[in-house]
Amino acid sequence: MSTILICRDCDTVYRAIPLRRGDVALCRRCDAVLARYFGANVDSGLALVCAAAIFFAIANLTPILGIDIGGMQTRANIWFAVRSLQQGWISIAALGLAITTFFIPAAQIALLFWVLLFARVGHRPPGFGPIMRLLHRMRPWSMTEVFLLGALVAIVKLANWVPVTAGAGIWAIAALTTVLALLGRCDPESWWSIAPAVKTCRS
Amino acid sequence: MVDCPRGQDMPVLRQSFELGLVLCRTCGLAVSRASLGVDRRCPRCQGRIEQRTPFSTEMTLAWLIAGIVFYVPANLLPVMHTRGLLGEADSTILGGILEFWRSGDWDIALLIFIASVAVPFTKFIAIGLLLITVRKNSRWEQHQRTALYRIVEFIGYWSMLDVIVVALTAALMQFQALGAAEPRPGIAFFCAVVVVTMLSALSFDARLIWDRPA
Repeated sequence: MSTILICRDCDTVYRAIPLRRGDVALCRRCDAVLARYFGANVDSGLALVCAAAIFFAIANLTPILGIDIGGMQTRANIWFAVRSLQQGWISIAALGLAITTFFIPAAQIALLFWVLLFARVGHRPPGFGPIMRLLHRMRPWSMTEVFLLGALVAIVKLANWVPVTAGAGIWAIAALTTVLALLGRCDPESWWSIAPAVKTCRS
Repeated sequence: MVDCPRGQDMPVLRQSFELGLVLCRTCGLAVSRASLGVDRRCPRCQGRIEQRTPFSTEMTLAWLIAGIVFYVPANLLPVMHTRGLLGEADSTILGGILEFWRSGDWDIALLIFIASVAVPFTKFIAIGLLLITVRKNSRWEQHQRTALYRIVEFIGYWSMLDVIVVALTAALMQFQALGAAEPRPGIAFFCAVVVVTMLSALSFDARLIWDRPA
């Protein structure tokens, strides 16, 4: 059964063939991506997840943007942005921002780390199925790259009035965006390919 | 690539139900329908398997209407309040875009216009079009309509841009007399538009475009 591919967008059935590096299998009917060559193994995946965790920590511990005028200074990062929206019922927007730019990326990194750490030693992690389903559900709601673009727009916007500077955090956000993209945007569909190996090791 | 390289005769393309298969949307596994139990769980990920997303068009329409309703206050109400040496002002999303445009930053004006105004509006039109054509079992431009769906799915979350810009501006502009910025209710409605239109797009099952009445 594992050699059958079904298009998500038009339900057409295909027999899979091995893909080489750089190959993308497209649906003949609707051009959806059926499969991509997936070169990452558990080790490189784990390395990327660790890198993502470090960049995420830097992005949240250092300022992303800052303003200095005449001895006064303000700094901002993801949490400062969330807190600035906490005002009466506008806090709904703060919640939305916190979930999409902080909690979901954090959960993606933590859960992938959990799964890959167990896969590294050849075990099926506790809660494997629910975790992978959760990762699948969270994927569209991870907005790190949008935050990066937002920070760049904010720089240009504020630079008209005040001297605004980018902090170390903005580089960390840029790096985090790249690493998350490399992890297949935390797409568990690609990571399922490690599952057969994991399963056999369990029994 | 798959089975038959381009240039050869077009093979017969079959949909999953013709072959007794069904796709697990969660993990992408092709599952034989005969092997599914009563609870319809995927043997690999234990996710629920459905031939088509249940109540797909109804859910899509419901979220779409909610999105259109929130879009009005999102654009009419101020999103930010600024206070500075030059006085106080409330700004709406369109007002902010005009300000950028007038001050010569046409590129940023265009970027925010696309992300905040054009993208949500295009999504309403596109999802509406998909819903109507699916409802009519239309076979018009199925390929293009599927591409349209994928674009809607991809561009959706970029509209969060303005929420982030307002939040960062409010976080940074905290200089009592010199200048301060505070968020205003418009931004919460705007955030709601983004979330609700994303839910609308996610509820839509693109396979309905290709289904024919039995």
